[in-house]
Amino acid sequence: MAQNQRPASILDTLGEEIVRIITPVSICMLMVVILVSILSLDDSSSSSAMPTIATIAYSETGSDSSWDKFMGALLNSLVFVAVVTAVTFILVLLFYLRCTNFLKIYLGFSAFVVLAFMGGEIALFLFEKFSFPIDCVTFLVILYNFAVVGVLAVFISKMAILVTQAYLVVIGMLVAYWFTLLPEWTTWVLLVAMALYDLAAVLLPVGPLRLLVELAISRDEDIPALVYEARPVAHHDSGSRDGVVRRRVWSERRNVLHDSGGDVNSNAILSGNAGSNLNSGVVLSVASGHNDTRLAGAEEGRVVEANAELSAPLIDRRMNDNMHRQEEDGTSENLLLEGIGLGSTGAIKLGLGDFIFYSVLVGRAAMYDFMTVYACYLAIVAGLGVTLMLLAFYQKALPALPVSIMLGVLFYLLTRLLLEVFVVQCSMNLVMF
Amino acid sequence: MTVAAGIGYALIALGPSLSLFVAVISKKPFLILTVLSSTLLWLISLIVLSGIWRAFLPLKSTTWWPFALLIISSVGFQEGLRVLFWKVYKRLEDTLDAFADRVGKPRLFLTDKMQIALAGGLGHGVAHAVFFCLSLLTPAFGPATFYVDRCPQMPFFLISAIIALAFVTIHTFSMVIAFNGYAEGNTTDQYFVPVVHLVAGMVVKSASA
Repeated sequence: MAQNQRPASILDTLGEEIVRIITPVSICMLMVVILVSILSLDDSSSSSAMPTIATIAYSETGSDSSWDKFMGALLNSLVFVAVVTAVTFILVLLFYLRCTNFLKIYLGFSAFVVLAFMGGEIALFLFEKFSFPIDCVTFLVILYNFAVVGVLAVFISKMAILVTQAYLVVIGMLVAYWFTLLPEWTTWVLLVAMALYDLAAVLLPVGPLRLLVELAISRDEDIPALVYEARPVAHHDSGSRDGVVRRRVWSERRNVLHDSGGDVNSNAILSGNAGSNLNSGVVLSVASGHNDTRLAGAEEGRVVEANAELSAPLIDRRMNDNMHRQEEDGTSENLLLEGIGLGSTGAIKLGLGDFIFYSVLVGRAAMYDFMTVYACYLAIVAGLGVTLMLLAFYQKALPALPVSIMLGVLFYLLTRLLLEVFVVQCSMNLVMF
Repeated sequence: MTVAAGIGYALIALGPSLSLFVAVISKKPFLILTVLSSTLLWLISLIVLSGIWRAFLPLKSTTWWPFALLIISSVGFQEGLRVLFWKVYKRLEDTLDAFADRVGKPRLFLTDKMQIALAGGLGHGVAHAVFFCLSLLTPAFGPATFYVDRCPQMPFFLISAIIALAFVTIHTFSMVIAFNGYAEGNTTDQYFVPVVHLVAGMVVKSASA
C-alpha cells in the first residue's frame, strides 16, 4: 500500500511521554473507583471508628452541623500537615547526614507493610463481599509472595520495568483506597491542605522538599523514594525498541556521558518552545521515602502512613550531564543510580504521592456519583497536562499536586451543584444536544 | 436491570467510539491528548450552560417552548465553541508545522489534519455519551428498570443509549466536516453542521412530546 512508503509524520510520536504518564495515573484512578464502588456499602459504618492520624483531632459524625464539620476537618488537616512537615524535615536531616541505607531499608519496609497488610485487608473485604472460598494457608502464602515480590520490584532496578510499574500502581491504589475511608469533609479539606503544603514545600526557600531536592542535585545523588518511572521513549533511529537492548544502551550511554543533544524527539512536549533545554531530560523526581506513623490505638497494628513526602517536585535533571563522575559506593547505590539513569535520558517520573492523592480525589467523587468521577478525572488529567507544560517552560522543580487538586475540587463542586441537576432534567425529558 | 444489561447499554452508546478509539486514535499519542482536551472543553461548555440555566430548572414539562429555548441556546453555544476550537486548531497547526520543520520531519498531511478533527469530534461525542447516558446508568445495574411516560415501550436506559449513539456519530463526524468546511471556505459544509445539530436536538425533543 502506498501508505507504508510515506515517512512518519510528527503526529505519530508527539506527546508520547505525556500519554505514558497519563496511562498509569488513569489505571490507578480506575482501580480505586472500582474498589470504592464495590466496597462502598460495607464501610460506611465502620469508617468512623477507625482511629488514624488524620482524624486525631476530630472524628466526624453524621449529626454535626456543616460548620462544625468544616472546623473539625480543618483541625484534622492542620494536624496532618503538621505531622507531614515534621517528618519531611526529619527526612531531610537524615539525607543530609547520609543515612541513605537506613532510608532505603525503611522504604522497602513500608512497601512491604502496604502490600501485605493493606493489600491483605482489602483482599479480605473483597472475599467477604463475593463469598470467595479460600483457606487461610493458601491466602497467606499468596499474600506473602505477592508482598515480597513487590518489595523486590521497588528495591531492585533490574526487575522487568512492567512489574515495577505495576507494583507501584498497586501500592498507590492501596494507599489511596485507605485514604478514601476517611470522613468526607476531612478528605476534601485534607486534599486542599496537601496541595497547599506541596506548593509551599517545593517553592518556598525554606520548604523541606526544596531543600531535599537541592541537596540531591548538589551531591548528584538520588533520593531513595517510591517513584513511578515511565518507559523512556526511543525513536526509531536511535535504538531498537527492545526493552533489554535499550537498557544496555542507556547505561552505556550514561557511562560515556551526556550528548543528550541528539535526543531531540523524546522531549518534544507540545509547548511549542522545543528549545535546547528540553533535550536535557526533564524529570519529575520525588522527595524521600515514607514515614510510617504507628498509632497506638489501632487494633491490629494497622499503620496509616503520612505520605506527603511522596508529593512530587518536578526537577530538571540538566545537572546530570556531569553524571559521568562515578562516586557510587556500594552496589545497591549503583543499582539505584543505574535505575534512575533511565530517567536522565528523557523518561518522565512521577512521585507516588501524586498518584495517591489524585486517586483519593476521584475515589471520593465516586462515593457521590459517577458524573463527578468523569468530571474530576478530566480535571485532574488537564491539571497534569498543565503542570507538565509549566515544567517544560520553567525548567525547575515544580509541585505536581496543586493545579490538579484545585481543578479537581472545583469541577467536583461545579458538577455536584450545577451540572447534575441540569443533565438529569434534560435526560428525563429526553432533551439531548 | 442487572449488570449485563447495564454493560449492554453502555456498549450501545459507546461501542463504535470505542472501536474507533482503539483502531485509529490509540496508535498516535497526540490524538489521545486531543480527545482528552476536547472532552474537557465540551464538559466546560456543559457546565457553563448548566450554570446559566440552573435558575430556571426544573422546567414545566407540559409546555414545549422552554425546552426549545434550551435546545437552541445550548446548540448555539456549542457551535460557537466549535468555531473557537477551529481557531485554536489553526494556531496549533502552525506550531506543529514549525516544529516539524525544525525536527526535519514532513509537515502535516491532509489525513493527519482529518485525524485531528476526528479525534476532536470523538472527544465531544464521548463526552456527550458519558454525561447524558453513562452517568445515569448506575441504577440500570440493579434488578429493576425504568420507563418514561413519553415512550413506554422501551426502558429509558435503552432510549438514552440509542440517542447517545446517534449523537456520538453526529458529533464525531460533524467536527471533520466542519473543519474541512472552514479550511476550504466551503459555506455549505460550514452551515451543514450546526443545522444538523439543531435539527437533531429538536427532532428528538418533539418526537418525545
